[in-house]
Amino acid sequence: MSYFGLDRFFTFLKTIKNYGGLKASLYKIYRMDSLRPGTLVGTDKFGNKYYENNAYFYGRNRWVEYAPQYGTDYDGSQVPAEWFGWLHYKTDYLPSQDAARPKYKWMMEHTQNLSGTPGQFMPYSTTQPKVQAWVPPKK
Amino acid sequence: MLRTTLGKVLTGGSLSPKRVTAVVRAASSQTGKKPEQIEVFIDDIPVKVDPGTTVLQAAAMIGIEIPRFCYHERLAVAGNCRMCLVEVEKSPKPVAACAMPVMKGWRIKTDSEMTKKAREGIMEFLLINHPLDCPICDQGGECDLQDQSMAFGSDRSRFVDIDHTGKRAVEDKDLGPLIKTVMTRCIHCTRCIRFASEVAGVDDLGTTGRGNDMQIGTYVEKMFLSELSGNVIDLCPVGALTSKPYSFTARPWEIRKIDSIDVLDAVGSNIVVSSRTGEVMRIMPRVNEEINEEWIADKSRFSYDGLKRQRLITPMLRDNTGELKPVDWEAALLTVAKQIRNAGSSIGAVAGGFADAEVLVAVKDLLNYLGSEALCTEHTFPLDGSGTDLRSSYLLNNGIAGAEEADFVLLVGTNPRFEAPLLNSRLRKAYVHNELDVALIGPKVDLRYQYQHLGDSPSILQQLANGQHEVNKKLKAAKKPLIIVGSEVLARPDGSAILAAAQKLSASTSPEEQNWRVLNVLHKVASQVAALDIGYTPGVDRIRELNPKVLLLLGADDGAIEKSDLPNDSFIIYLGHHGDHGASIADAILPGVAYTEKQATYVNTEGRAQQTLVAVSPPGRARDDWKIIRALSELLGAKLPYDNLNEIRDRLEEVAPHLTKYGEAETANYFKQAQELSKGIKTQLDNSPFDVKLKELSDYFMTDSISRASPTMAKCVQAVLKQKQSKF
Amino acid sequence: MLRSTAVPVKEALNNPVLLRTLVGSFSSVPFKKRDHSTTPVQDQANQTSLQATEKYKPYSPFQNTSNLAEFALARLDDLLNWGRKGSLWPLTFGLACCAVEMMHIAAPRYDMDRYGVVFRASPRQSDCIIVAGTLTNKMAPALRKVYDQMPEPRWVISMGSCANGGGYYHYSYSVVRGCDRIVPVDIYVPGCPPTAEALMYGVLQLQKKIKRYNTLQMWYRK
Repeated sequence: MSYFGLDRFFTFLKTIKNYGGLKASLYKIYRMDSLRPGTLVGTDKFGNKYYENNAYFYGRNRWVEYAPQYGTDYDGSQVPAEWFGWLHYKTDYLPSQDAARPKYKWMMEHTQNLSGTPGQFMPYSTTQPKVQAWVPPKK
Repeated sequence: MLRTTLGKVLTGGSLSPKRVTAVVRAASSQTGKKPEQIEVFIDDIPVKVDPGTTVLQAAAMIGIEIPRFCYHERLAVAGNCRMCLVEVEKSPKPVAACAMPVMKGWRIKTDSEMTKKAREGIMEFLLINHPLDCPICDQGGECDLQDQSMAFGSDRSRFVDIDHTGKRAVEDKDLGPLIKTVMTRCIHCTRCIRFASEVAGVDDLGTTGRGNDMQIGTYVEKMFLSELSGNVIDLCPVGALTSKPYSFTARPWEIRKIDSIDVLDAVGSNIVVSSRTGEVMRIMPRVNEEINEEWIADKSRFSYDGLKRQRLITPMLRDNTGELKPVDWEAALLTVAKQIRNAGSSIGAVAGGFADAEVLVAVKDLLNYLGSEALCTEHTFPLDGSGTDLRSSYLLNNGIAGAEEADFVLLVGTNPRFEAPLLNSRLRKAYVHNELDVALIGPKVDLRYQYQHLGDSPSILQQLANGQHEVNKKLKAAKKPLIIVGSEVLARPDGSAILAAAQKLSASTSPEEQNWRVLNVLHKVASQVAALDIGYTPGVDRIRELNPKVLLLLGADDGAIEKSDLPNDSFIIYLGHHGDHGASIADAILPGVAYTEKQATYVNTEGRAQQTLVAVSPPGRARDDWKIIRALSELLGAKLPYDNLNEIRDRLEEVAPHLTKYGEAETANYFKQAQELSKGIKTQLDNSPFDVKLKELSDYFMTDSISRASPTMAKCVQAVLKQKQSKF
Repeated sequence: MLRSTAVPVKEALNNPVLLRTLVGSFSSVPFKKRDHSTTPVQDQANQTSLQATEKYKPYSPFQNTSNLAEFALARLDDLLNWGRKGSLWPLTFGLACCAVEMMHIAAPRYDMDRYGVVFRASPRQSDCIIVAGTLTNKMAPALRKVYDQMPEPRWVISMGSCANGGGYYHYSYSVVRGCDRIVPVDIYVPGCPPTAEALMYGVLQLQKKIKRYNTLQMWYRK
């Protein structure tokens, strides 16, 4: 079978099946430009799914599929900090396995990069204003 | 820039021939007839000069600048720095160019070996005791010593005292809140001393000790307080005297310099506004022989920090609770337009002291369109007789520079020292050099020169006008008499009678020259002459009679009109740049710009139109005053026909052509006609004595909305009051 | 597998509460389970309330169109933006060390060509300029000239601290304190120098920005 490359064809079929059919797979290609089989190793709280397939070479063997609510507007900052390390080969531990990184109450919720949205960060000046305004006297 | 920079020295010829001839003329006029010119050779270039000309002046005539520290064109020659040593052929020793008059046939070498060696030697002596703190010195970059040591100093050092065992160190003096002293840097040029005693008339500064122990100081612990004190900062060739408010804020190479006009008094001194990063860093004088020579008064120089405080930076409207709340331009203009539309022609305007000619004409056009003629200035002037129809009745006709030539001056109800310090410095100059006699009717004030005090009763003026006073003889005999009437006494109810008396008196004099104008009026605020030229009514009486529903205040902050003068439902609009008296009574505030932020026309008390230029951008949402009026006119459906500065200046020219002839004083005539008209005046002089507001130095510093907002000016007042407590 | 902790590992694994305190409250995935398939793993209890609330996000940012003309123009805008963002040709303006990182995004590892981003050496052919490195006073007129030569629409990516605000050379007498004093900057990429990945992210952010352009709709509204 492998001689004719038929195994690859079956893997392809299986992949399409796992993605939920032809239509879903085409949507995946439209959205992610790729369709590749992999192991779902975890899902974060935003719904992003993390995959691994060691059949690909190092550097391409881990990837993320962004949650459907992001549509085509996904971007790297939507990966929360706890998954960032795994995705970038800083660690081989999945977040759930890495006990060295506890979560405290005071830690902030991860947010994506809000540039270009109403929630974007606007720098403010800490220097004194050059001109002091007149404050009307209170009655 | 006042000081001789390196560039000036190298390019040469900055000492204008005009200035030199003035000096020469002064020197020669005493000898009577014009003496024969003598020929000298400077670097083998022949030059013909009048006898008595110094070597330095002769060199300046052909554009050779001789280095100097102590010599200054407007001060007496001291000859103590020796920097100007030059070689004269057949003279065994080099001579000091600033003090030595040229002799016939002298061959002067300004670039010979001997001259160079002399300069290098002097520079070495000066630098022995001069600290090497240029990096932390405020004068750095505009320091005569720095520049000249680069140009004329030696390139080798023989200074071996690396442990600094023997450098001179001098304790700093407290000269008040304006002048910072680092006396170790002093090179004893004595320019400050000469300025204080000759120009400012304050003999507080002097030297003690001699040789290496010589010190400049005030002898006793006393501050150097004068209305002209800031000029010693410009005069000081090193960093010994620097500006206290400016200290450690900016370097001369990083600031932008814009030529402008001062508006804090009616003199209209020419200034240079230095700004950096959109902030005014300092204000310095600019040479204008006709107005301020190269001095400016302290209020003009140091009140710039008032431009950064108490500013109106956003439009405001009074809400239902009676509080002023910031709003945007759209809301403010719409509300104001609605109020004006409701008021119809029941609208008036009062122009304050800082209003420029552009906004004055825009407001006049707008109000005339709306059917109102109630355009007033805050400062009063008599309307009887010729009133303000003839310009000669409200100008300082003979000019500021003209005061220098006078031989008899009668001051009526004015204190020129604080109302126009630079006019006073001219009078003092004439007093010192020209044997000017001064007489004064009004409160006895300190003018820093002696004068004959005639008393403060109006009856004395009446006697003078009738020719019954002893001073009449002097006035008659005088070849160049001047009568300077303060605008403050003319604001009295009997102002027209005072002006009539002055007119009568001036007609009785017999000046030698045809063009000599005896009668002069000294105004106190910068906007007054332009406002009267454009056709504003002086005084707010008309507003009181009219009781307008809408009142527009153009920076009127002197409290001439109060809320109580108006009906309860009246709507007050304040258009100005400072939150002061006017803004606090206003129902709507439209933020305008101050004089450093606009290109605008001002006419000084002698009728000279000058323009300010934009040095920094307006703060916040403030906009050019006339543009606000223009925008408002569009909302009112009375669109004013000018969209840019050129167009509004065309309009100014239509109203009064001289308003756009910048730099020229438009003289006025028709004195006789004015006097004829004044005969019809019924008003009688009343008996209350003449009074002026600004009597002492502490009164001088805070007089308007800018200087009232200035912390430096407040410190000055404190310093003067503290000085009064002192036993010295 | 777990790093040494105060709590013995096995006990921790058996005790869900203890486990939570150990590893935190973020979503946990059964770590032993690795079936080689793309079948979704069984959901955990604490997983994502966020996911449920947020709806599917459509491609176009212009959704609130009130009439047919607006709708048509919105779609045309979408098409225009899609074309523009899919063929973003940057002009290289490498000035310093940042330029080396800028080269890296063109190399196979980051491979910017897959986004349609192709470096051009001529301002006439490019619609984006990447200012990479210290902009000196002397170079500033050249930058402006090159920027002025680019055809509209054009965008600017400021790369690295020096281009963003002078950076290390902020107080130098010869350096422009940020290239936004010379040209209008769309995207600032921080870093000294930014990694190639950061620059790539910047390019993607610019694509996002281009996607929001409403050129035709503004024209219509006027």
